[in-house]
Amino acid sequence: MKTSVVGSRVVREDAWGKVFGQTKFPADVNLQGQIYAVVIRSPHPHARVLGINSEQAMSLAGVVAVLTAKDVPNNSHGVLFRDQPVLAEYIRMVGDPVAVVGAETEEIARAAAKLVEVEYQVLPAVFDPEEAMRPDALPLHPTLRPTNVLYHMPIRRGNLQEGWAQADVVIEKEYSTQHVDHAFLQPEAVLAHVDERGHMVVETATQYAHYDRGEIAHALGLRFSQVQVKTLAVGGAFGGREDISLQIMAALMAWNTLRPVKMENTREESFYSHSKRHPMRMHYKTGATKDGKLVALEAKIIGDAGAYSSWSINVLRKSAVHASGPYVIPNVSIDSYAVFTNNPYSGAMRGFGAAQTVLAYESQMDLLAKEIGISPLEIRLRNLFKVGSTTATGQVLTGSVPLDQCLAKIAPYLQRGGDSQ
Amino acid sequence: MKKRGIGLGCSWYGTGYGNGFPDVSSAFVEIHDDGSATVLTGAVDVGQGSNSIFAQIAAEELGLESQDICVYSGDTDATPDSGTTAATRQTYNTGNAVLKAVRQAKSSLLDYAAHEFSCPTSEGIELKEGFIGVKGDPSRRMPLADMVFQARLKGERFISAESSTARSTPVDPETGQGAPYWPYAFGCQMAEVEVNTETGMVRVLKVVAVHDVGKALNPTQVEGQIAGGVTQGIGFALLEELELKEGKINNPALSSYLIPTALDVPSIEALFVEDAECTGPFGAKGLGEPAMLPTVAAIINAIDDAVGVRITSLPATPEKILQGLAEKREGLEK
Repeated sequence: MKTSVVGSRVVREDAWGKVFGQTKFPADVNLQGQIYAVVIRSPHPHARVLGINSEQAMSLAGVVAVLTAKDVPNNSHGVLFRDQPVLAEYIRMVGDPVAVVGAETEEIARAAAKLVEVEYQVLPAVFDPEEAMRPDALPLHPTLRPTNVLYHMPIRRGNLQEGWAQADVVIEKEYSTQHVDHAFLQPEAVLAHVDERGHMVVETATQYAHYDRGEIAHALGLRFSQVQVKTLAVGGAFGGREDISLQIMAALMAWNTLRPVKMENTREESFYSHSKRHPMRMHYKTGATKDGKLVALEAKIIGDAGAYSSWSINVLRKSAVHASGPYVIPNVSIDSYAVFTNNPYSGAMRGFGAAQTVLAYESQMDLLAKEIGISPLEIRLRNLFKVGSTTATGQVLTGSVPLDQCLAKIAPYLQRGGDSQ
Repeated sequence: MKKRGIGLGCSWYGTGYGNGFPDVSSAFVEIHDDGSATVLTGAVDVGQGSNSIFAQIAAEELGLESQDICVYSGDTDATPDSGTTAATRQTYNTGNAVLKAVRQAKSSLLDYAAHEFSCPTSEGIELKEGFIGVKGDPSRRMPLADMVFQARLKGERFISAESSTARSTPVDPETGQGAPYWPYAFGCQMAEVEVNTETGMVRVLKVVAVHDVGKALNPTQVEGQIAGGVTQGIGFALLEELELKEGKINNPALSSYLIPTALDVPSIEALFVEDAECTGPFGAKGLGEPAMLPTVAAIINAIDDAVGVRITSLPATPEKILQGLAEKREGLEK
């Protein structure tokens, strides 16, 4: 199809403002009469809040309000399940917000936050997902799941025993990935105010304004039609702006004080304010024939969901579906698990569960190639998905499946006296 | 000693929410009296450039230039819900919604114009270079603005609202069998690294990335996505790691949680393959997430190629590489 504008190198309209520093990010907008709010976060990974004494903080000149769980009409939010408190009474991770302080200036708000006394009952915590999976481990979300296993996805295809019987070479290895932060350049910031219509207006950087609207409306007990979420320039997201961070707290403060409320995370606060990439442990056993055909894969993937469910179910599903790599493997047994722990909660991040498995399946491919004595390119060419291939989930790939074309383009860059090209 | 090696990584990625999760995007379109147009959609541009892509799609359909289109997004009081900017779905999914909406508004415009030009079918009408007219007869055309303005006088307006839903179905919970995602995006990358065997430091010298994009709606933005993806992949492979102690983050600062800087980013050659995806807008599929996937594998495989150390836990820190080299030496001595 011939196109003229589509396919051309049109310069983005937002480029100029960003290059010349004119673009307004949420931290750049202010309203007359605004107050500043800061969050008091739990230093404990697992605890109960026994009491909060804000008398001293309130007596500081310039402090407008200290809000706690009791002030939240519906104290929950979450993308799949509303299992995350706006302001917590039961702490599941370091950094869970327990109170929010509003004051005339940011300095006063931060000083007042130090004066709020929170009494915690510290509980035993679990940080290792395999430990958390044990049936005797205390469940962190008993109303959601009887154990800490939030999700298990099995994939079964073909006959694994037959696969191992056909395999001339088997590589078995353990892989692991780390907790990763999105580290977007612009920390979270929000400006919330009740406008002349009596509507709750929240300006922020988010990946999904309509989701934020729904969660703010739910928490405050408002209708969708009373809440406006307006997205200002987003300074990087990568999945880290999918869950709610400061939006509800800012809106709650504005709704309670009828003052515009500004909130802005420091970098350190930002690290505690959004999800992380799931660390994964991946046990892989892959078998191939001596001519380099993959015949069997057994994989077990354990993902650390951390303290809240966020997108963990979808992430670990994506890990399982993509665990084979883009290769035809007729006999497959894959199990992926998402497990609650008292670590920072894991959620969406660019690659969404399919980023971790690449380490495992592509390392296995190179190790198999070496064992068989063919090049890394050759083993991939012998197994890659084409139109009509069947995946580990039994999906027949129709339409656009041009991995062969991609490899043909990269092949010249791999030349170094390889073997079978 | 500094040793060099190259590595290859391939990946695939099911775009969209998947597994039957409702994956719906919506868009409103209005063609104005001066021949420009506005697209309203909830889809947030998080810096990846979706607003420009939607402008290009609308301009293409209406025979206009990109700057004739205003795209306004991510305001719940003004724009319809278009789902999350995630799952590599906005170019594909909201792109489809914008395309459907533009085509709907265009269809009533063409019907109106067909009547005005005494053409029995709108098939005979075309939009080109800001004009609307009869196909094959350049003498019978007028500026789009004039047509839209005249239409208003007769009570005709060209506005539309459309939604587009991606196809996916839930897999069987016992066997995992099913068709959970569509479309899939593929890619491969080559990394060349230099490993310092005394310090364990890895320097990425070059990355060549080839990605399947269906159709590059804007090649500059494709290159941008690839550059960003490779950079993030380098961080994932070599640098980034949250240090946790009993759930507490020990390095919540960019001075101790290291992300790649300009000095860590090598020369990146971004190539793409255009094999049209028939369900995508103008054949496009998404690239946002796929762009970072193969990098980690290409780097880890290149390290092995350079020094014979197989890193199995990320990130590949100098300590792990030195340990791997030491184990290799011990193995040789035995």
